[in-house]
Amino acid sequence: MSTPPATLPPWIARLRERAERIEASLNRRLSAAARSAEDEGGFLPNFCRGWVVFNAAIAAELLAVLVTLLMPRQILSASAGQDLLLVSVFVQWVALTGTAVLCLARKTLNRLPNIRALGAAFLLLLLNTFVVSELAIWLLWLLGQIKTARPDWYTDFHLLTLTVSAIANGLLLRYFLAKHELRQRVQSEARARMQALQSRIRPHFVFNTLNIIASLTRSDPKKAETAIEDMAELFRMMLSQDENLVPVKNEIDVANKYLALEQLRLDSRLQVQWDVGKFPRKAVMPVLTLQPLLENAIRHGIENLASGGTVEARLWENADRIHIRVINPLPPPRTRRNVPSPSEGLDTIRQRFRNQYGEAATLETEEREGQFIVNVVLPTRGDE
Amino acid sequence: MRVLIVDDEKLARERLKELLNDIGGYTVVGEAMNGAEAVEKASELNPDVLLMDIRMPGMDGLEAAMHLMGMENPPSVIFTTAYDQHALDAFEVNAVDYLLKPIRKDRLANALTKAKKLTQKQAREISQARAEPQARTHISVHLRGNIRLVPLPDVVYFLADSKYVAVRTRAEEHLIEDSLVNLEKEFGDRFLRIHRNALVATQSIKGIEKSPAGTWQVSFKELDTRLDVSRRHTAAVRRWARSRPKGG
Repeated sequence: MSTPPATLPPWIARLRERAERIEASLNRRLSAAARSAEDEGGFLPNFCRGWVVFNAAIAAELLAVLVTLLMPRQILSASAGQDLLLVSVFVQWVALTGTAVLCLARKTLNRLPNIRALGAAFLLLLLNTFVVSELAIWLLWLLGQIKTARPDWYTDFHLLTLTVSAIANGLLLRYFLAKHELRQRVQSEARARMQALQSRIRPHFVFNTLNIIASLTRSDPKKAETAIEDMAELFRMMLSQDENLVPVKNEIDVANKYLALEQLRLDSRLQVQWDVGKFPRKAVMPVLTLQPLLENAIRHGIENLASGGTVEARLWENADRIHIRVINPLPPPRTRRNVPSPSEGLDTIRQRFRNQYGEAATLETEEREGQFIVNVVLPTRGDE
Repeated sequence: MRVLIVDDEKLARERLKELLNDIGGYTVVGEAMNGAEAVEKASELNPDVLLMDIRMPGMDGLEAAMHLMGMENPPSVIFTTAYDQHALDAFEVNAVDYLLKPIRKDRLANALTKAKKLTQKQAREISQARAEPQARTHISVHLRGNIRLVPLPDVVYFLADSKYVAVRTRAEEHLIEDSLVNLEKEFGDRFLRIHRNALVATQSIKGIEKSPAGTWQVSFKELDTRLDVSRRHTAAVRRWARSRPKGG
């Protein structure tokens, strides 16, 4: 964006500014549309593209060889070479016209749900085969090779071409669909992994903390050093893919590192009250269980309170069960239209508990008198 | 140039002060920890430019900007943010200045030299583009060139006449330039339309009574005034009264 020369009348500048704004918004919409077209495009490859047509021709030729090999001799001509030539010409015709049909119909087909698109494409290709077969007979008749347009092998010929076409096209379309589904699964898995990572490492927390550390490097380099060490350790845990069970003590350590970082940011606004009971040495919980609970308490509670508040974290063991209770004050209800509720931030943890323990672990939330309470119960020894 | 720094994190404010000191030529006239405080201080200290965080408890930076832009001679605003994709997109589209945290000295210096004023329309559009669009927490009232913020829970009703809308609180009445239609759109979940010209806070309603003249009237908990319910709104008001929780 360049600024217009000072001599231009202001209305031109305004117009230009407006045009730029419209352009920017159009660009955003266009790129969004392009992205969604890539994502949601149908399973058919683009048959208008050269190399797809080339692949179709190769596949057709292989089919032609197969048909020729399986054919009893002396139906078409005297030599195998001549048979292959004739069959090839016919099969290539069918294949190339079929590609053309799919090229033309692609936009319409891709708008249909996959199964219906597959059915429609299949029928289109069968129809195409029939038309080409009929044309072939007419051509032979016009060239004087056969005496009538309805020779006695007329029905057999159509049945044969339609059957072969149905089998070949059926396999092909099914292959395209499977390939498409595989690609989609890979994409959605990658997206889910990305989301899981983002829910672990919240960008807002990362960049704010980095800003604070930048500030500390001048005023208190010692503190800055500790903060970087804490952050490194926390990130190492968050980035690791393992879903290991770790001793309760480790979890409390990590949680404390996290809280130390938040304390730098929120200063006296964040108070934490720990109450940790006695645990048997074998007591374990999934790695990063406690930290997200505390992060949720800060994100939905303390961070939104101008005067801050106290997060209470209680852990105790009873009858082979680990109990965790995290309590945080909530800001007064706002006039927001669609605030995510505090318990929504806990969905990832809930899911992880389900993967690890099935029904043996519970996570319950309640809101009482302006406080948000999370209660977690886990089997002490991990798997049972 | 006079600068007002607005951020809820103390160390973030410190950093901005240090960077401004390094750049030179800027005076930090004050600091604020949230949007409401920013509006108050801006109207009191008349800074040339605000460096303002977006996410703050209570009133956030975007709402504060909306109120500020109603000033007679509003300051320029440069937003600072750690990460807020929706707001950033809106900034790009509306060509609004912003800085990403951790804030860099050269970027800050650059932004300050070309700091521009927002228009109220820009502020409103950005505010609407948020991931969690919210209604304002305060109504801003202009008093002798200054801005007064009236917390929304204090408002008993809005009453429109031909040109202005009167904001009535328990103790005071102010005039604002807004339309009841907009106010209803924004605060519809807390306010009830009882007349073409009246929008009342549901939590302030004491009761709905029939006047001697046979029309319906709303009475308030903390005010002696009564407001007429128009015939067109009677059904909706009575429906609300029936569904209202007991003792509320």
